[in-house]
Amino acid sequence: MASNPMQQFSVHKIGPEIKIAGIDLSFTNASLFMVISASFILLFLFLGTREKKIIPDKVQLIAEMFYTFVAKMISDTAGSKAKPYFPFIFSLFMFVLFCNMVGMLPYSFTVTSHIIVTLIMALFIFIAVTIIGFAKHGFKYLSIFVPSGVPAILLPLITVIEIISYLSRPVSLSVRLFANMMAGHTMLKVFGGFVISLGLLGGWLPLSFSVALTGLEILVAFLQAYVFAILTCIYLNDALNLHH
Amino acid sequence: MTIPEDFKTRLKIAKSKIEKQVQSDKEKRGTFMGSAFKLGTELVAAVAVGTIFGFILDSWFGTKPWLIIIFFFLGAAAGMLNVIRTANRMQKED
Repeated sequence: MASNPMQQFSVHKIGPEIKIAGIDLSFTNASLFMVISASFILLFLFLGTREKKIIPDKVQLIAEMFYTFVAKMISDTAGSKAKPYFPFIFSLFMFVLFCNMVGMLPYSFTVTSHIIVTLIMALFIFIAVTIIGFAKHGFKYLSIFVPSGVPAILLPLITVIEIISYLSRPVSLSVRLFANMMAGHTMLKVFGGFVISLGLLGGWLPLSFSVALTGLEILVAFLQAYVFAILTCIYLNDALNLHH
Repeated sequence: MTIPEDFKTRLKIAKSKIEKQVQSDKEKRGTFMGSAFKLGTELVAAVAVGTIFGFILDSWFGTKPWLIIIFFFLGAAAGMLNVIRTANRMQKED
């Protein structure tokens, strides 16, 4: 029985070691659970869209609910101009959600509890949004760093502050998801360890905490996927609709 | 002194209303925690980015302690800006 609550986050290789041009590309348990999450999404959406009935069955209903949920989120936060980016944001939302949810299963591995995974996703969004902004507006996009109605003396200071604020976006985006998932799963394991060490006599209290925490973690898993997707929409909105 | 029947039913209705309120408050607590965490990371991330920025610029220009100090405070200002913007957005949503 693993007594160390951090042991659940260890990454280890599965199968042979693969090295291409000095970069370690071995298949790990993290990759395995990413594949599992992705195949769950594919399976779920395949079942949901297999028979396009007018009166939907349960799976189709849930798949359609996800679709309208994301579509509404995009049109509410980023407007109609963001419609072409729907596939990307939908994939992102589903991937984060399913990684979080698969991580809630016992004996599984939570991919999103590693900062490298969330940071890569956040950096990808950050760079993509910056490129979209420059592609749509050219050098006028730089005007988001210069808020209107600022006295000329303060302008250099405000611009530097705005640039730091812009650069902190991928950091806050990735740290939020990673810290939430890691803290939650560590807490679950710590309370699980208390159940074992307190035994039959005193273990009931941490056990009930554990049950409550599991419910909370499922809420957090959904909420963080939602926050990740909605912040992507907000950043996209800043890039698409310049209004400063 | 006996309590009139009418008052009893009114008390019952009022009590059930309060209970409902507490129930929905409990449901909301998870969402509040999410938004509190959101604001916290906004602040910390900007300070961290500002400090790292200052550190890099320091090693470029060789002005060892000064830029990191300045950029720490600029980062803190950027963090507060982030928090104010996020809070404004949250208020608009409600």
